[in-house]
Amino acid sequence: MAVRVRIPAPLRAATAGQAEVQVEGGDLATCLSQLESQFPAIRARLRDDAGGLRRFVNLYVNGEDVRFLQGLETRLQPGDELSIIPAVAGGA
Amino acid sequence: MVGGPGADRYSRQVLFAGISQSGQQALGRARVALVGVGALGTVLASELVRAGVGALRLIDRDYVDWTNLQRQSLYDESDAEAALPKALAAAEKLRRANSSVQLDPIVDDLTADNAEWLLAEHDLVLDGADNFATRYLVNDVCVKRDIPWVYAAVVASYGVVMPIIPHNTPCLRCVFVAPPAPGTTATCDTAGVISPAVGVIASLAAAEALKLLVGAREALSRGLTWVDVWNNSFQRTPLGGPVADCPTCGQGRFEFLQAERGSGAATLCGRDAVQVRPAQPLQVPLAALAERLRPLGEVRHNAHVLRFITPPHELTVFPDGRTIVKGTSDPAVARSLVARYIGS
Repeated sequence: MAVRVRIPAPLRAATAGQAEVQVEGGDLATCLSQLESQFPAIRARLRDDAGGLRRFVNLYVNGEDVRFLQGLETRLQPGDELSIIPAVAGGA
Repeated sequence: MVGGPGADRYSRQVLFAGISQSGQQALGRARVALVGVGALGTVLASELVRAGVGALRLIDRDYVDWTNLQRQSLYDESDAEAALPKALAAAEKLRRANSSVQLDPIVDDLTADNAEWLLAEHDLVLDGADNFATRYLVNDVCVKRDIPWVYAAVVASYGVVMPIIPHNTPCLRCVFVAPPAPGTTATCDTAGVISPAVGVIASLAAAEALKLLVGAREALSRGLTWVDVWNNSFQRTPLGGPVADCPTCGQGRFEFLQAERGSGAATLCGRDAVQVRPAQPLQVPLAALAERLRPLGEVRHNAHVLRFITPPHELTVFPDGRTIVKGTSDPAVARSLVARYIGS
């Protein structure tokens, strides 16, 4: 069993259309590295030029904002779910 | 069956235990403001007006265009033909659906100058905007004035809904600290949008609106709901409470409300168009302007709007001098066309 990563529609171009992918686990920083090595194109969508997480991309572990867990040091266990939620602007 | 605008009008909704007679009375007293009467806004307005809210203020800067008809369900071909301002066209249709609702169409941008005045004194604000700047402005006013609002947005086949009760749930800025930089997120410009996605997201937002207006806070969908009608996902992320150090609801800094007015020219989402605003509102006599422009190109005008076609551009002028220039996405080109034809 692995950590499930839910990919929102606007980022699926980077995951060959997959809505859910799996990574091995570890802390959040490690999980993101595993995700980015599987799908290199997703890196630019999640991180700015300096490598920091973009401020309008939110990460949740089992529905909890990682900012209120341990941030990039949050531990993910097998079976945990990592959700990526970017901001959506349209309305017209 | 009793006809006419009697008590029967709301019978099916009153039968629903979540609303009942007391909820219906609360709806009838409610004053709601809707920011943006486009795709989400037309569905929201229709559902709220039919549900019998007391008053609805409709704020929109744009006019009806042929590309709107695919998804902006209150408008028809005659509105596009006449290029009617959306707030006025919507109010006209809504009046026919429920004449007992007090409708207050405002043909203008929501700006840092007018947002507080336009939104205060309302029980609820609904989001039908097409850009983030406007949403952060709405968030500032609603947190400052303690007005619940519902964030809703849609692009392509997906969208999000998040009801916000200031100081009780996370506000927009608790969740998205900074607006995305222009060009970094999909918009209806780049990714398109399908009508069923609009309908689902707007109706979810309308359901949250009804819960807030009848006081059914326990039924509220707290957190952020993400729906994708093409890829068949419906995901709800509970977000917990407000963020203690949020600049807006935690620290009380209303940076978008205090912002200086921008350059006066803004590219419009979903359109090859730029809006140019005069530094001060003007009073443009549309009939006289039409006479002046007639030798230079095709001109059509009515009481609300003047359309001047000078290929490849089309200028739509509102009586306060605000002009939407179609056929360019370059603010500098738009500004110079306005200076040349309308005066600045």
